[in-house]
Amino acid sequence: MKHLGVEPAHAGAGAMVRLFHVSKSYLAGSWALRDVSLELGKGEFVFLTGPSGAGKTTLMRMIFADERPSEGQIIVLGRNVSRLSPSAVPALRRRIGVVFQDFKLLPRRTVEENVGLALDVVGTPPRERRARVFAMLKRVGLQHRRYHHPLSLSGGEQQRLAIARALVNDPEVLLADEPTGNLDPDLTLEIMDLIADAAARGTAVFVATHDHGLIERYGRRVVRLEAGELAEDTPIRRPML
Amino acid sequence: MNQRWFARLRYFLRTAWSGLRESPVTGSVSVLTIALCLLLVGSFALLVANMERILDRFGEEFRVSAYLEDDLAEADLAMLRERVAAAPGVDRVDLVTKEAALERFRASHIGRAALLEGLEENPLPASLELVLAPEHRNAAALERLVGAVGGLPGIAEFGYGADWVSGYHGAVTLVRGVAMVIGAVLVLATLLIVTNTIRLAVYARRDEVSILRLVGGSRTFIAIPYLLEGAVQGLLGGLLGLALLVTLFHLALPVFSGSLELLLGYVSPSFLELRACAGLVSVGAGLGVLGSAAALGQGRLGG
Ligand SMILES: Nc1ncnc2c1ncn2[C@@H]1O[C@H](COP(=O)(O)OP(=O)(O)O)[C@@H](O)[C@H]1O
Ligand SMILES: [Mg+2]
Repeated sequence: MKHLGVEPAHAGAGAMVRLFHVSKSYLAGSWALRDVSLELGKGEFVFLTGPSGAGKTTLMRMIFADERPSEGQIIVLGRNVSRLSPSAVPALRRRIGVVFQDFKLLPRRTVEENVGLALDVVGTPPRERRARVFAMLKRVGLQHRRYHHPLSLSGGEQQRLAIARALVNDPEVLLADEPTGNLDPDLTLEIMDLIADAAARGTAVFVATHDHGLIERYGRRVVRLEAGELAEDTPIRRPML
Repeated sequence: MNQRWFARLRYFLRTAWSGLRESPVTGSVSVLTIALCLLLVGSFALLVANMERILDRFGEEFRVSAYLEDDLAEADLAMLRERVAAAPGVDRVDLVTKEAALERFRASHIGRAALLEGLEENPLPASLELVLAPEHRNAAALERLVGAVGGLPGIAEFGYGADWVSGYHGAVTLVRGVAMVIGAVLVLATLLIVTNTIRLAVYARRDEVSILRLVGGSRTFIAIPYLLEGAVQGLLGGLLGLALLVTLFHLALPVFSGSLELLLGYVSPSFLELRACAGLVSVGAGLGVLGSAAALGQGRLGG
């Protein structure tokens, strides 16, 4: 069940994320992203692939309003990110889970506090918070590490911690930037199952990855970028079981 | 809803607490700076308060005597008294008859009553004694009063019970003014130092701040723990400053008590009232909170 493809969501009003002719230029004269249009529906799971420097991270940063598009429009959860006022950004981000390529964990807070942070920003009551953090840590296999600090964890453990923080609040959109880069194959599958699980429960998922084996194995929709341009958008493929 | 607030409060307290524990050095610098500032400001307050206390003591005895012409008719006197009572700043008017004046003189010159023995007539004039409202016990108000009633028929001349009181009042006003200016400068300088100190702490945690923003922390959510930290530091600084002030006061008192007695007479110096102490500690807390707010403002938390 987990590895079976989910029907792509209908295009249009139901989309969680929509990009219309989006371009991004950090430096005048060069484009990190060029005229990209795509939609991501509820519960849809998309692999975002392409060589290093293709614009995967840039695309994700624009979706959670860390960068603004230079051209085009981005609608996320019904909000036009290109025109979002700064005070409206936090509320949008609380509905989006992000696994950063460099994790962005708080080194002075414990594993437990790092995961809890996503619940603290929305003010989850203490009892519920504790239960959800514990359940999440168990799912990523870090419950025995909950009072450690991130820097005392291995790379793989830090990555799982980052994923736990992104998923603990059941986000409507999940953006995972190379979330399995530091994991060994067994752990990679476990984590991908966790992410696929979130998609099955309705979360719209973007996973940036270089790992073709992973893409083949899961057989989901693939969006491939090359030098900032949309090179491929293959709806859904048969999973290779 | 309540539960959410409670959850937030818990988070803020926990975060502020760990923040305090993480940066003990910058924290101590803030606390000590605030304590020192409040020690100085408190010393000024102590000086002014004691000077005012002396003024109050003497102020109670601060009367203006309007000496009356002899042979004033009963009806004229009554009218004069009424008009004087209506003058600005006059709380009460007492009539001191010639006989009462003589009686007083005798009482205050016991043993030297012989001075008056040879006189067949009472040389002392009758007078109206004006008791002034506290806010009118100063030179300017006195002048206004004399201007208002001085020309009234029946008044021969004025006498002030204690001339030095208005001079002393002027001195107190001056000292209070100077103390307020110096206090304000001190408080501002402290605010600057505290702001810069806290800014260092915020700068040291700038990665944390940016991560909090990325996971959806609002400006307020990020700022409140820092403001709480500032409040705690300010409160500690205030309490420490107050403790230092009390200690110094009790250490210094015996050393200076001899000369103080000369200067202050029978009014023994006392410490600040509870309200002033609470005010001092609140100023400390305020400095901490404002310092944090200013540091955060400069650090630009973003949306
Ligand atoms: N903050 C930035 N400032 C300037 N150039 C940037 C910035 N971030 C990314 N780029 C450039 O944009 C392009 C796309 O980068 P990125 O989105 O990180 O690609 P990917 O994640 O696919 O490796 C690259 O050429 C990169 O050098
Ligand atoms: Mg990248």
